[in-house]
Amino acid sequence: MKSRQPLIILGGMSRRRFIKYGSLALGTSVVAACSNNTGPTGESPAPNASPVATTSGDGIKVGVMYSTTGSIAIVEKSLQDATFLAVEQINEGKGPWSGKQGIKGKKIDMVVVNPDSNWDLYNQMSKRLIDEDKVVCVLGCYTSASRKSVLPVFEEKDKILYYPVYYEGNECSSNVFYTGAAPNQQITDSIPFCVKNFGKKGFFLGSDYIYPKESNRIAKAELVKAGGEVVGDEYAALGTTEFITIINKIKQAKPDFILSNIVGDSIPAFYKQLKDAGIGPDDITIMAYPTTEEEVLAMGPEFAQGHYTSFNYFQSVDTPENKAFVEQFKAKFGQDRVTNGVMEAAYFQTFFMAQAMEKCVTEGKELTTANLREATRGQVFQAPQGTVKVDPDNYHTYLYSRIGKWKEDGQAEIVFSTKAAVRPIPWSQALYKGRICKHPTPDDRSNSIVETKKDIPIEYLQV
Amino acid sequence: MDFFSSLMYLAAEPPAKTIDPIAMTSQMLNGIGIVGILLLTGLGLAITFGVMRIINLAHGEFIMLGAYTTFLLQKHMKLDLLLTIPFAFIATAIIGAILELTIIRRLYGRPLETLLATWGLSIVIQGVVKLIFTAQLKYVKAPALIKGNWTLFENSSGTIQISFYRLFIIGVALALLGLTGYLLYMTPLGRQIRAVTQNRDMAKCLGVNTSLVDMFTFAYGCGLAGVAGAVISPLKSVAPPMGQDYLVDAWMTVVTGGVDKLIGVLAGSFIIGQSSAVLAYLLNDPTARVIVLAAVIILIRYRPEGLFTVQKRG
Repeated sequence: MKSRQPLIILGGMSRRRFIKYGSLALGTSVVAACSNNTGPTGESPAPNASPVATTSGDGIKVGVMYSTTGSIAIVEKSLQDATFLAVEQINEGKGPWSGKQGIKGKKIDMVVVNPDSNWDLYNQMSKRLIDEDKVVCVLGCYTSASRKSVLPVFEEKDKILYYPVYYEGNECSSNVFYTGAAPNQQITDSIPFCVKNFGKKGFFLGSDYIYPKESNRIAKAELVKAGGEVVGDEYAALGTTEFITIINKIKQAKPDFILSNIVGDSIPAFYKQLKDAGIGPDDITIMAYPTTEEEVLAMGPEFAQGHYTSFNYFQSVDTPENKAFVEQFKAKFGQDRVTNGVMEAAYFQTFFMAQAMEKCVTEGKELTTANLREATRGQVFQAPQGTVKVDPDNYHTYLYSRIGKWKEDGQAEIVFSTKAAVRPIPWSQALYKGRICKHPTPDDRSNSIVETKKDIPIEYLQV
Repeated sequence: MDFFSSLMYLAAEPPAKTIDPIAMTSQMLNGIGIVGILLLTGLGLAITFGVMRIINLAHGEFIMLGAYTTFLLQKHMKLDLLLTIPFAFIATAIIGAILELTIIRRLYGRPLETLLATWGLSIVIQGVVKLIFTAQLKYVKAPALIKGNWTLFENSSGTIQISFYRLFIIGVALALLGLTGYLLYMTPLGRQIRAVTQNRDMAKCLGVNTSLVDMFTFAYGCGLAGVAGAVISPLKSVAPPMGQDYLVDAWMTVVTGGVDKLIGVLAGSFIIGQSSAVLAYLLNDPTARVIVLAAVIILIRYRPEGLFTVQKRG
């Protein structure tokens, strides 16, 4: 009778067993690597594998850093898709780039890396993109945690990151162009809208990490400023799908509206369970920031119907540029896909970059960080959401502020829109009155935070 | 200055609320809803770990496979969720049987190696599913028959109600628990399963086809996980990493209750579900989770075999 083997075998591993487990481990990593295949252009950057350039030759190297595996891949994959579409249009002279070919004939070479939803890997990958691949600049990141992780790298090595995501503000870096919404382009309009249309009592909800907490802190201050009352403030563990307790607390607090900064997988779970608990949009309306067309599609539109989202862009925005964008995106990635605000930003920021590069090349300048930075400042582009512009002072973007009400088909009916793109203010004026960000020209990368101690007026883009 | 003013702002949270008896009762009822999910997700693990002693880290992936089966059948065959449950069981059980035949079978009696192998398996399964279905969230429709809430109590200060779907989950979980108990303790097959796990060699000598019994048991455990995935899917959306959420909870449930007796799973899910519900209500969700996890660790320190376990002779 065979005796039971010890649990841990030190040095006694037979060759056969070694081969067996070795091949198991290898098989695992092969499949894991395959699952990272990022599709359209066929490169498959596994986590930790060397980045792969998509085309060869003397093109302009640009880093593309989005996770296609791990917990946040669901969102970042679609940002990568939007970026791929923009680069393809630039290289082939299609869409907004028709009539041109690349950057004055030079192609953009993407160096695609996959940080596997791991904040430390974002840091390492960005170092490698800059030091080994010698990219000119990087397009990427989604969560605030990943941006905070790479920010010291870009500042130390003086490279530029184009960051396409609405975020909590409070940054004034000379090395990041923020093409998503600053607090005043998403929060400032939505809170008075809620007070006016739903009532004074707001319940604040979010996932338990930096962006929802900061965003809610700003929104709470805005609500108090608008004469409202905060009746609840709750955070759910990131990625949780159990909202039964929070819904009970909401029932008890009896708010007029819920301000939701729940992100990722938790969004569908929250909306479904809220409706399941018998609370419809007529009882308590949700105003959300991270809930976009994509999440609405995933939860089933009937659960979001009647609730609201505040964003700069919706797929239903009626501009010729947007019609073309949606059509081209669907043609490339499938008719069942939808576009959303973050993807739109990832798309148009690539054109900001390309226009800036073109400007450098036209003026006969080298594509250095300093030249690219100066060229990006003040760039204007006909984006799907309307005309947008990089603010030359604070490197954030003039964006439209819109509020959409979800319909039964999963699209938003736009119930509020500013008449033109709003000038970004990186600091919430309800919390930090008078604080602005003003980089000198040319940017010497000195501290650019200015305390004006005055009210900052709302400005609109004049074109 | 601004830093301090913002600190002051954060410190000035809404005043502590008094405990409202109605809301508290309602929360206890919600706790029952959580218990249902824990029981359902823990049951499969009670078979693969409790009975077979396989440290199954791929348990969450079997839950995910069940959910994808439901998604596929709903999308292509337009089946109601209730009708997809048997198919979810069969599909995951078949996959479980294949994996037992090819991988798990070679690792019996070596818990550490099963741990590594099933961990690898979970990565592989997630990868394959992501390749086939992409990483996008998928939508599963709740059954048309079961919707709305059951109101137990209602007055001006609040209502106590539980959704019918949560009750349905508890019903399915209890039914499966009963079925599994019957299978293990009342049938010849159950006797064979227990014989094999207690003394594999002796069972073999007495003419039990141990490999067949092993395969069946593992497939059954996986099938239960598949049912859990199918039933839970309409509460959330279906995505490749979804199983990971349930893995830790399922393990806590099984380990707390004790692995020898099926009743341990029921007790474990009840204790964990209710204590998280009450703590989450008094404090908040993330804190409650930390406290419950810490309590489970302390419990394992003093009762490594769990709460409900028979003393064995050495």
